[in-house]
Amino acid sequence: MLHAVLLPLNGYRLHQMLQLLRDVKKSVASDLSMDWLKPFMAKRTCAAGDMLFYKDEKAEDMFYIVSGRYLLVESGIELPVGTLVGELGMLSPSNARTQSLECITAGTVLGVSYLQVQELYVQNPEFGFFFLRLASARLFQNIEKLQHELAEQTPPATAAATA
Amino acid sequence: MVVKFTESIRELLVGQTVITPAGPLVPPDGLPDVVRVIAADAVSALLDYQDAAYARLYLDRLKRFIGRRDVPVALFAEIARLMAERMMYEDPIRIAQLALRDPDGTERICQFRLDEYVSLLPEVIAAPLLSFLQRIACLDRKLNRRFNARTTFGGRRLRIEASLRQWRAISARSTAERLWVARWLHMIDRALTKQPPAAAAIVETATMLHGYGDTYRQALADWHLIIDELAKPTFAGVLALPDLSEAIAHARAASDPTRPQRALKSEIARIKKGHAEVREKNAATSAPGEASSFNQT
Repeated sequence: MLHAVLLPLNGYRLHQMLQLLRDVKKSVASDLSMDWLKPFMAKRTCAAGDMLFYKDEKAEDMFYIVSGRYLLVESGIELPVGTLVGELGMLSPSNARTQSLECITAGTVLGVSYLQVQELYVQNPEFGFFFLRLASARLFQNIEKLQHELAEQTPPATAAATA
Repeated sequence: MVVKFTESIRELLVGQTVITPAGPLVPPDGLPDVVRVIAADAVSALLDYQDAAYARLYLDRLKRFIGRRDVPVALFAEIARLMAERMMYEDPIRIAQLALRDPDGTERICQFRLDEYVSLLPEVIAAPLLSFLQRIACLDRKLNRRFNARTTFGGRRLRIEASLRQWRAISARSTAERLWVARWLHMIDRALTKQPPAAAAIVETATMLHGYGDTYRQALADWHLIIDELAKPTFAGVLALPDLSEAIAHARAASDPTRPQRALKSEIARIKKGHAEVREKNAATSAPGEASSFNQT
């Protein structure tokens, strides 16, 4: 009797995990699309002026932008729709936000907690590789921006005059 | 909604332990001596006010200023002191705690707003209730409360109220106050980055908020108005106020928590208009060639 109940349940659970594995493999090979993660996320509506999180606050969740305009306050970077934001807080040694995020135009975001992300990772370690790529892409983007700002501020070096 | 509520219950239970998995509550390393003394006193007070998790939140918030060369020791001490004061905001639970400790048992009569009582409820319950009260225009209804520990019934009621501090962490008011402190600290950080001389003025704006009832509500509205109209646009580069600290001082002088914001709004409009006129005058008087003379070799 017990096995008759558990077998279909476990079969369905296996199907879910295999489906997740296929989706993650597809996204790892793709351009980091987040569509497959959406079923695990909670919807949140933001009004203009709302702060989703502040710099140096403890980071507990990340957000996927569905609609509206959002600004990373300290760096002045406006995030387009379809961006995942807040993932660096999970990887930060102090587990603190690296920037503040403000909603400029009303919209909707989907949020997922780091705890859920860890559960997804336990179920499928390849998910961790996907996140590494995502965080690296964001860090390289920040480095590029800083290099660009430094180049604008530093006067160009002139060749030394020969005697 | 259910997940959020259960997570808040879990945080509440963790907060009851004095020694959390992260270790005992001691001020972090790297604090200047004077700040360490303030932090140690604040931790004791916050443990009494709320719980260990709340005291740890205070210490975690202090860590962001450790080692920053642009934060003088005096400013750091003031941040530590004012943050502790703001985190121990006055609500009916706190007044009950203080009334029970009063050796004279003096009766206190306090006038709270209805929304202050409703916001003591968990956020999932308080939010729709507050929304309903706002629709029927009852948010600011006044409730007079006697806090009297001398009578048997009064003392028992105060003890019940004081025991509600365990549930304060999941109340709607607690969430709002956490967001306020987070915003205040964010504005201090922005001031240190964009206009360091104004950082002290931003820190001192915390002294605008105290008490409860209409006075507190009006002061909170005034604070947000000053930050939204003067500080935030200045840091964003939208409003070029070279002396933001002076502008904030003028705005605070016009702010009166016992009266509506008319005087404050007029003063803010005057500050913005005055600065716009000065900028136009400078632009009109400067010749086209003069602006580039600095870059000429």
